[in-house]
This record gives sequence, C-alpha cells and structure tokens, in this order.
Amino acid sequence: MNPKDSRQNTQRIKMKTMLEPYLFILPVFILLLFMFGYPLINSIIMAFENYKLSNINDIYFNNFENFKKLFGDSDFLLLIKNSLVYVVLSVAGQFLFGLVLALALKQDFKGRGIYQSIVFLPWAFSTFVIGLIFRWAFNGEYGVVNDVLIRLGIIDKGIAWLGTPGLSLAVIIIAMIWMGIPFFGIMILAALQSIPEEVYEAADMDGCGMWQKFWLLTIPYIKPTIIITILLRTIWIFNSFDLVVIVTGGGPANYSQTLPSYMYTKAFSGYDFGLAGALGTLLMVILGLYAVIFLKLSNYDKAGDF
Amino acid sequence: MTITKKKRLVNIVRFFVLGFNFLIVILPIYWMVITSLKTNPEIINAQKITYFPEVFTLENYISLFNMLDYSSYLYNSTIVTMLTSICVVILSILGGYGLARFKFKGKEGMLLFFLITQMIPSILVIIPLYIMFSKAGLINTRFSLFVFYMITNLPFCVITMRSFFERIPYVLEEAAYVDGCNKVQTLTKIILPVMFPGIVAVFVFAFIGAWNELIAGTIFINTPDMWTIPVGLKSLIGKYNVQWGALMAGGVLALLPTGIMFIFVQKYVVEGLTSGAVKG
Repeated sequence: MNPKDSRQNTQRIKMKTMLEPYLFILPVFILLLFMFGYPLINSIIMAFENYKLSNINDIYFNNFENFKKLFGDSDFLLLIKNSLVYVVLSVAGQFLFGLVLALALKQDFKGRGIYQSIVFLPWAFSTFVIGLIFRWAFNGEYGVVNDVLIRLGIIDKGIAWLGTPGLSLAVIIIAMIWMGIPFFGIMILAALQSIPEEVYEAADMDGCGMWQKFWLLTIPYIKPTIIITILLRTIWIFNSFDLVVIVTGGGPANYSQTLPSYMYTKAFSGYDFGLAGALGTLLMVILGLYAVIFLKLSNYDKAGDF
Repeated sequence: MTITKKKRLVNIVRFFVLGFNFLIVILPIYWMVITSLKTNPEIINAQKITYFPEVFTLENYISLFNMLDYSSYLYNSTIVTMLTSICVVILSILGGYGLARFKFKGKEGMLLFFLITQMIPSILVIIPLYIMFSKAGLINTRFSLFVFYMITNLPFCVITMRSFFERIPYVLEEAAYVDGCNKVQTLTKIILPVMFPGIVAVFVFAFIGAWNELIAGTIFINTPDMWTIPVGLKSLIGKYNVQWGALMAGGVLALLPTGIMFIFVQKYVVEGLTSGAVKG
C-alpha cells in the first residue's frame, strides 16, 4: 500500500466516524423536522389567507384580516382567562396531590407495589374515557356528584354543573387534576427516593424536627425535579384540550373553551382554517416565549451536557 | 410528645393519605363499572340513584356490540397502535443511541429540537396535516393515524431511550469491539438485551399514546369502517341523548388493555417516565 492510499484510507475512516452519529439520528430527525416543520409553516401561511374549507376554490391572501377577527372576537379575553385558570389550577392541584401522595409512599410498606399500580393507573387511561366518566358523574339530572352533595346536606337541589358558566370549567379542571396526579406522584417519588438516607440520619443527630427536615432537606433536594415537572406539565396541560371537547364541548357559550380547543372548533365546526391559522400562530408565539422561560428556569442547556 | 408517639401519629396520617388517594382513584372507576352493569331504567332514574346495581345485567355490553361494529374498531386500533409502537421503538433506539454515545456538531441543537417538538400543541399540527393528507389522498386511512401517532410520540421516546443508553457503561461496548464486533452487532447482541426495561417503557408510552387518542381519529377518519375504538365510542354521544350505559361499557372495554398492561409493567414505566422527563 503506498502512502497516498493509506492517507486516503484514514481520511475515509475519519469521514465515516464523523458521519456515524448522524446515521443513527437522521431518520428520526428528518421525519420530525418535515412532519412538524411543514405543518407549522403552512399554518403561518394560512393565518394570512382567507381559507375556508367550505369554499376551497377561493383562497387568497387577506393580510391581517384573520388576526383582526381573532382579537376583535368578543370572547377572546374570555378564552385567555379560561386557559390561564385551567392551566394554573390544574397544575397546582396535580402538584399538591402528587406531592402528598409521593411523601406517603416514600417509606416502604407491605403491598406498596400493588398499591402503586392502582393509584398510578389513571396515567395509563385514555383522556376520552376519563372525560366520559366525569361528564357522567357531574350530570345534572342523574349525576352521582349531585346526589352525594344532597345527601351530605351541602346543597338542596341538583346543580347543572356542565351548563353553568364557571362550574363547567371547574369540572374539566377536576378531571384534569385526577388524571395528572400519578405523573407528579411518580416524578416526586423518584426524586424522594434518590435522597441518601445518611442526610436524614445526620439531621436527626443534630436534633432537627420533622418540619425542619422537610423544609431544609427534602424540599431543596427535590426542588429541581419539582421545577422541571411543573414546567413540562404546564405546557402539556395548556396544549391538551380533549377533556374540553368531551366534557363540555367548550360550553356553555365558550365559558369552558380554551385557546387550543377554540382553534379546533373554528377549524372543524366553522371550517375557517384561516382564523384557526391565526390562532395557531398566536399559540406558536406563546410557545416560543414559554420555551425561553423553560430553558432559563430549568437550566436545560447545562443539564443537556452530562 | 415522645418520639414513638410522634412516629405513630405520622403513621396514622400516612394511612389516611394513602386511603384517601386510593378512594379518589377508585371511586370514578367504580362508578363507570357499576353504571355499565345497571339496567337502563335504573341508570336514568333521577329520583333514586343507586350505588350498587339493583339488578346486574350485561345488556349494556350486548347493546354496545349490537349498536357498534366493535370488532372492526378493535382491529383498526390494534393495527395502528402496534405499528406505531414498533416503529417508535426502532426509531428511538437509533436516535437515542446516537444522542447518548456520540459527541458531534449540533448535538445541543438536536436535543433542543426534541424538547421543543414535545411542546408543540397537537392541534397546530393536525390542521395543516389534514390538508396535506387530503391532497395526498391519505385521509380516511390507517396510515394517516399511524404517521400522526408516530411523530407525536417520538420526541419523548427518543429522549427517554437516550437516558436509558446513558446508563449502560461504555466499557461494555468497548469489550465487544475488542472481541471484533462492529457497531451494529454490538448494538443488537450486547446492548439491546441490557436495554430491555427501556424498550418496554418506550413501547408502552407509544402504545398508550396511540391507543387512547381521539381527536386526530375524529379528524383524519370519516367512515365508520376505519374508526378506532375511541372514535367509535364517541359516536354514541348524540346531540340530544347519550347512551350512558353502553358508553360506560365501552369505556370499561377501552381501558382494559392499557390498564392491564400498566399494572404488569408499572416498574419499567415509572423508570422510563422519570428518566425521560427529568433529564430532558
């Protein structure tokens, strides 16, 4: 083998090792880039078009018409308010219940495995069926919730939960909290179990009480997990609208409608894809801002390098 | 208070917390199951709501099968879900391995990309995809659902797989190279067997995600012969009247596969959820 050949050879090997990681990742990357990128760009274009599915042959650019229509919508502020209330209360509820559950599960007891399988079960359940269960339980005429509240003497006669502004959104939030407790429980429990036992022993020797141990040891240890779980769940809950569609359909009169569910309604009941595109673009801006906050708060760029 | 007294108090509180949580989870499920076993007059008797069926009946299950072509939905759901899960597992093994084992240009950006794609609301993708699929003649096919379920589940699964790979010591691989294995052989013969928990976790994530999905199903599919289970069940919700008995029976049947699956592999799922979400 002459020197030139061997140099070419090493170059070829170098090329090969340089390309290798991309061979593993590119299939997924290209698939996702195309399947997310193309729709997102299209959705932005749609936002500036008069695009009605009922009149597919008459699509033209209408500048900011869709945005004007969106921001001029008398329900627009209501949608923002609903989305905020829905996200904040759902995350807070899931977090509190999940934290308490995880703390109770930390110490081993007989049958913990089976117990966990049951209380974490809602994680595996379909949002659709969960929505059905809660819609049925909160039914105004035949619902079990009204019956229980009447028997307990809390109310005199049945409440039309799903037909009352404010209450219909509350039912959605309750269902959302129910289905999300396991995720928080699982995450916080894992963090709790990673705290070394010696830390607590040392604290015992220093004479720390239970509350002190909780606030000074447990909470700081699990804080990073709590932050990242809350951040992940916030965006997930914000995006998820199946419960709205199933439980109330956004009613009564948009009082339980959130931004994503409104987009769904506009696109597939009103067939106004242009307006849906404008809403989508707005969601993208919100998402972009959120991603920046997420990266700042979670120290993701540092966490990515380990 | 003495220490033993305090400990006892803590235990009592714990017992109540655990019991309370158990009830919270069980009661809605109980209500669904019990409703599905009542007769219809009993279900819609507003005067008297029963907490235990006066008469046990399977009539709701029978009418469910009479009203709906359940076996066809089961078939569609199974095909789409299995195909999705298998492809997601394969692609996330490749992607996860690439992200875990190599240092390369653009890795940070790639990780960020997978994080951001997890945050994109599905409705944002569904609408343009609907137009795209219509143009390509893919509306009303199982393939359209398969594509959608694959891309929505992949980002999280790739990141999860990556953290499972990172837990395997590199020494294990080096030993294989010394013995003359190439990358692919090492991956299939040495690493994958150790990766079993990760593969199970990712499979279950994709399975549950695809099996339970409703919205895309109602949009991409428009004839009953292509419906998946959730879409078929949704057809029982009429504008003016809802068949609650049959609907609850359908709900029970829809939850069984994922519920049973979860109980058996709970350990792996918990491992996967925590590693996939916390690290990225």
